[in-house]
Amino acid sequence: MEVITWLEWAFDAVLSVGLLWLAWRALASPDLFKAIVLFVSFGLLMALAWVRLDAPDIALAEAAIGAGLTGALLLAALARLRAIAFKDTSVPPPQFSKPQFLHWLLIFFLLWLGAGLGYAIWVLPPYSTGLSVAVAAHLDASGVSNPVTAVLLNFRAYDTMLEMIVLLMALLGIWSLGGFPPHTDMPTGSVLDTFSRLLVPVFILVAAYLLWIGADAPGGAFQAGSVLGAAGVLLLLSGWRPRVSLTQWPLKLALAAGSSAFVIMGLLTILYEGQLLAYPAAQAGMLILFLESLATISIGATLAALFLGRSSDHEENQ
Amino acid sequence: MEAMLADTAWAVMLIILPLAGGITCFLWPTLSKTLGLITVAGVALSVAGLGRQMMENGVYRHAVGGWGAPLGIDLFADGLSLLMLIMTALVGLGISFYSRNYFKPQEAIWFWPIWLFLLAALNALFLSADIFNLYVTLELVGLAAVALTALTGHRDALNGAMRYLLAMLLGSLAYLLGVALLYHDSGSVDIVTLAEQVKPNATVWAALALMSAGLALKTALFPLSFWLPPAHASAPAPVSALLSALVVKASFYILLRLWLEIFGFFAEGAATLLGLLGMAAILWGSLQALCQTQVKLLVAYSTVAQIGYLFLAFPLASGSDSMIWGVAVYLAFSHALAKSAMFLAAGNLVRFGGHDRIADLDRVVQRLPLTVSAFALAGVSIMGLPPSGGFVGKWLLLEAAMVQGRWDLAAVMMIGSLLAAGYVFKVLGYAFTEAEVSHNAKTVPASMEWAALLLAIGAILLGFMAPEILSLTRMTVSSGAGGAAP
Repeated sequence: MEVITWLEWAFDAVLSVGLLWLAWRALASPDLFKAIVLFVSFGLLMALAWVRLDAPDIALAEAAIGAGLTGALLLAALARLRAIAFKDTSVPPPQFSKPQFLHWLLIFFLLWLGAGLGYAIWVLPPYSTGLSVAVAAHLDASGVSNPVTAVLLNFRAYDTMLEMIVLLMALLGIWSLGGFPPHTDMPTGSVLDTFSRLLVPVFILVAAYLLWIGADAPGGAFQAGSVLGAAGVLLLLSGWRPRVSLTQWPLKLALAAGSSAFVIMGLLTILYEGQLLAYPAAQAGMLILFLESLATISIGATLAALFLGRSSDHEENQ
Repeated sequence: MEAMLADTAWAVMLIILPLAGGITCFLWPTLSKTLGLITVAGVALSVAGLGRQMMENGVYRHAVGGWGAPLGIDLFADGLSLLMLIMTALVGLGISFYSRNYFKPQEAIWFWPIWLFLLAALNALFLSADIFNLYVTLELVGLAAVALTALTGHRDALNGAMRYLLAMLLGSLAYLLGVALLYHDSGSVDIVTLAEQVKPNATVWAALALMSAGLALKTALFPLSFWLPPAHASAPAPVSALLSALVVKASFYILLRLWLEIFGFFAEGAATLLGLLGMAAILWGSLQALCQTQVKLLVAYSTVAQIGYLFLAFPLASGSDSMIWGVAVYLAFSHALAKSAMFLAAGNLVRFGGHDRIADLDRVVQRLPLTVSAFALAGVSIMGLPPSGGFVGKWLLLEAAMVQGRWDLAAVMMIGSLLAAGYVFKVLGYAFTEAEVSHNAKTVPASMEWAALLLAIGAILLGFMAPEILSLTRMTVSSGAGGAAP
């Protein structure tokens, strides 16, 4: 028993030092590509840290979004930046020459902030039950047995509804800029091609599993959606482009499905139950699964569309 | 019919309606102009419905999902929230009416869905009583505001929007960290529960500092206002109006709510600091506005100064006078009307002459009399001249400062008004005189001129309705005008 505790301590120590070291290296690296690779490794270690903190839901999300998709987006942005930088050499790189004393002032301020926050966290009670007692007490009435899903899709479903809009909003914001310059299609190797053919069905299967299991165990719409999004990114990477007919209505419907489902559910619950997003107890589990399924499709489509980075409307106008 | 009007969940409609409208605009871009206007009108009607309900039943509370706080999220509206909702609806109507003819078709297909989502987020924010839910709404407001700023895709606009985005994210993260600390300390994110449980300790002070700093950054309180002038000046005119009139008020409202319910009881030192920064903002913003050579930048710096007035409420309220929060919200309301009118008028000047250089306005008063009248009337409210809303708000602040013997605050307020007169007359003066360069003038649609003028008239009329509005702000949980709604 002693040995196991000691091993756990050692593991946590290595993890913490590794996280700090990776974060510092990613920030300090002048080579952007290296910084992104370091950032992805940071995300994976962070996912491990969440596992150590008994938060498997967050670990799944961190691995899929924090490490996987964000890394892919950053790499895509870097590739496009390089394409622009080659074309346009007239703009000199910005020079940052700040006076030395500002530098020290900032360091002093950050140290002071760090010390203050450190103290505030030091005096926190080591364990806080928060609302977990209340959640456990009402879990039976929520329609699912995974407390995280119960909070996200029932107790605080209103927050999740707004989060779905945030996702759609982010995509609208990027599309409104006119999207990225057209991506040059590079011939992909046959290895990537074969692999993506094999992997994409598996990804879809994993997403469906995560969605289904979310009712009882770690998983759910956000994790399933990000796996689905990753499948989309993989397809896009291997050179697949959706047909133009697909990027019109089908894509738009997929993007708006999750938020529309929440809004329609909101209207129906107001009409029949008199309260926003109050599900009838008997149907709660089914309604949550319905909302989560559409949310999964939207999250996956949005993440893949972010990677595609270009709206169909924009192409129409060209 | 009567019963149906009374029973409809108007507050929920304020959120659901613009969300549905925004999604529909996204799916059918060709409908967006008509649909957008209808949705905003529907929101205005819903605010009226909610106001009617609250007149009869007192403060409004709706347990989302039927769980009730602290497990679930409660929607909550008292007099202060209602006033902010009315402000959003009125300014939103004016700006929507203006935007109908402002945007080119390829911009309009993005403007309408994003603006409707922004409207939904603002309404949700003013109706929230849960600090985590406030974070979600704040995030949605920020993202939508940044997207709107970048809408034209010009170099200046993209630059301003990028700075704006980074400032917004930093502010949101600081606020979120504060939420996490408060949740760990008190085990709740519901404001009412927090108000009962929070005792000043190191954690709560850290949360207070983080949340106040984050929200002050988002509200552009000097010296955290560095991002505001480039963003507000480079955005399209209706967007600048939305940002200055409504978006900065959203984070101010959260700060006000937190101080009113949770922090105000023990944080007098921090209140003094916020007051000092407010004074600095008035002086610095007004002086900067006076030095500008372009109308939109001048109006943007004027926003920095006017936000300073709102923050004077913090030290004044901590001196036992809680009515001052009502005055702050009233002042925010009148600033929203006046400032949106000013930005829309500036947009008309840009549309007309193709530029907004103050020195080259070239007798524009003869050709755009309505626009210049709108600017002048809005200026009356910004300067704080009677009988405008700005006058009443500033007068009440001044009175409170004198009663409490805060002569420093009173002096800064008066200097701020003098400087405001300086920068408003600077623009008006050039509008009457002949410039060396003449215009290659374009026509400005009448609806755009009228939208600016109506908002400016609203800012003046607000002064006449001061007693009713100030009595509205007194509708709180404890005043219980008929008890809480079911």
